[in-house]
Amino acid sequence: MKFIDTHQDAWHQVIGEDGPKPDPDPRPHLLLSLEQWHAVRDHWPAGLATGVIVPNDADIETLEQDLPRLSLIVLQFPKWIDGRAYSQARLLRSRYRYAGEVRAVGDVLVDMLQLLQRTGFDAVVLRHDQSVNAAQRALGFFPAHYQGDTQDNRPWFLKSAEQAAAQVQ
Amino acid sequence: MYHYNDFDRQFVHARAAQFRDQLERNLAGSLSDDEFRPLRLQNGWYVQRHAPMLRVAVPYGALSSKQLRALAAIAREYDRGYGHFTTRQNLQYNWIPLVKSADVMDALAAVDMHGIQTSGNCIRNITSDALAGVAADEIVDPRPYCEILRQWSTLHPEFAFLPRKFKIAVSGAVEDRAAIAWHDIGLQLLKNAAGEVGFKVLVGGGMGRTPIIGTVIADFLPWNQILVFIEAIVRVYNRYGRRDNAYKARIKILVKAEGQKFIDAVHAEFKNILERDEQGAAHIVPQAELDRVAAHFVTPAAVQPQAPIALLNADASQAYRRWIARNVHAHRVSGYRSVTLSLKRTGQAPGDATDTQMELAADLADRFSQGELRVSHDQNLVLPWVRESDLAELFLAAKAASFATPNIGLLTDMIACPGGDFCALANARSIPIAETLTERYEDLDELYDIGDIDLHISGCINSCGHHHSGHIGILGVDKDGKEWYQVSLGGSDGSTLSGASVPGKVIGPSFAADEVADVIEAVVQTYRAQRAAGERFIDTVRRIGLEPFKAPANAVRTSTGAASHVATTAAAATA
Repeated sequence: MKFIDTHQDAWHQVIGEDGPKPDPDPRPHLLLSLEQWHAVRDHWPAGLATGVIVPNDADIETLEQDLPRLSLIVLQFPKWIDGRAYSQARLLRSRYRYAGEVRAVGDVLVDMLQLLQRTGFDAVVLRHDQSVNAAQRALGFFPAHYQGDTQDNRPWFLKSAEQAAAQVQ
Repeated sequence: MYHYNDFDRQFVHARAAQFRDQLERNLAGSLSDDEFRPLRLQNGWYVQRHAPMLRVAVPYGALSSKQLRALAAIAREYDRGYGHFTTRQNLQYNWIPLVKSADVMDALAAVDMHGIQTSGNCIRNITSDALAGVAADEIVDPRPYCEILRQWSTLHPEFAFLPRKFKIAVSGAVEDRAAIAWHDIGLQLLKNAAGEVGFKVLVGGGMGRTPIIGTVIADFLPWNQILVFIEAIVRVYNRYGRRDNAYKARIKILVKAEGQKFIDAVHAEFKNILERDEQGAAHIVPQAELDRVAAHFVTPAAVQPQAPIALLNADASQAYRRWIARNVHAHRVSGYRSVTLSLKRTGQAPGDATDTQMELAADLADRFSQGELRVSHDQNLVLPWVRESDLAELFLAAKAASFATPNIGLLTDMIACPGGDFCALANARSIPIAETLTERYEDLDELYDIGDIDLHISGCINSCGHHHSGHIGILGVDKDGKEWYQVSLGGSDGSTLSGASVPGKVIGPSFAADEVADVIEAVVQTYRAQRAAGERFIDTVRRIGLEPFKAPANAVRTSTGAASHVATTAAAATA
């Protein structure tokens, strides 16, 4: 899990005086809103490191064709108890095999870390008052889980049965 | 019973350690109360009127005598010496200080117990038939499937913060003793013509402000696909369930609003998981896994079929006859019965048991029932493995321990939530109403003449006391800071006796607390006057409708007798 320090972050949104610029000029490491991306995607140069920030009520399916062109998907937690982005991340990884960075932003608390990691997030911007140490500790409480996840979708019973079979051989 | 392996045990200890870390951060001030709240809720810790309440998970209601003794010890050491068994087959404590909470989680983990997902907006403890595995009318033993579901739903990373709570109930018998149609997901185990096992799947049932009966979403789902199918349902709900209004956030509202579109979305998601996802079929349960889990639920070796015996001699006392008729149930093993230990008696709230009573029940389980008990959804304990030849001895022992009230299924076997005496959500108290009614119907001759009645009391619209599904439902409402009670008739939990699941209908403006018992008596007297020979209460209500009950109920009004009150609360009732 990558903990992002926003002061050191290479990614930037393109926001003018009246909100997001509707039609930004191509540059590397732009983090575009879904609307911006839709406005530029047809003429956006290939090979440019590009990210998109997706609201948690957007249908992630609509990005499927664009995923190979995107290096970063930012998913949002407007409130930490709103769990919609976990499903978005899960679909990005499991269904669309998205291999770029999936980043959590917003109301991101240390106690979410395990859920984030297991649904496919590999980077987080912790809320400003959260401790990276506590977050790392939160990742280590459980040696394993019952159900599968995006790292390995085999549930515990399959893994342990396969281990037992391997030992017999 | 399911016995924890090293993995299960390590897991609950890890959960207890994680909770201790969260508690310590909360006490140190680095985890705010607001943010600790959802975390402690998912471990069963509420903050209630007097102190935190702890809800301990009793998965599908199965308890060992050892676990019950540990629960008694916790009641004695950390609480004020009692606990409350709930309609969701769990146990609640009311007086444990939060600073002790992590110690209690360790004490629970020591006997393979926990409070995981007994609250919060997640998949809750799975409930089932209290007679699972022993019922004479069982089609398929639901317990292995419940355990597989328990494991799958435990700390599911994608579904920990759903729009609202999510309850699953499983039945494997002809008779539905788990009220499955009233759940977010209701599962009925079936066998098809070829003898294969599958689930009828209902979705979108629930009580609360908007009572709705579940819709069938699959008529026969092969058993091994159940985890994937539920994943599809819960994912659609997590993505599209409403989050703008807590009263409209349950899946029932989504199912009702979207109708066929919701059903189509679930089937499409199910197909996508299996056909498109990385290792998408990994949660199709192999036969070997079902066999591994089912091996925990075999009939205990000491239980061997016996020649059936006559349960009653000619000289049997009336008390014993009544107990046999009401508290003793048919069993799938010849010569055995299951027996309900009634937790409905004068002097104690429905479902309550003291530490001593818990230990006595554990002793009875050891002596008569292979060390095993069940918590029933109507808040009693059940001994599942009793030899017919032991019944007379068990009756005396149960009587001495206060568990032999022969009232199962009768008016005083009522369901009641803890209500305003304990619960911070309640609008009104439930326990004094239950107490008054229990005292009023102490006469067993009268109680037996009245016959089968499901009477359910909820202290607020959250419906923990299942008032919607009661033949008689009592709902506490708040108006101008005072306690009022709405009375409804004709509800059903979906049992054969009660008919298809349906919410009851309110009979009129709410009543004052001191009128409620008289109203119930008026309703009961109306039934006794109107019933056809042998007709049960619920059938009379269905036949004659609500109208004949209204005038007698209104006639007992004293404090609400003034026309102005009736007018204003009538408006409130229909609002």
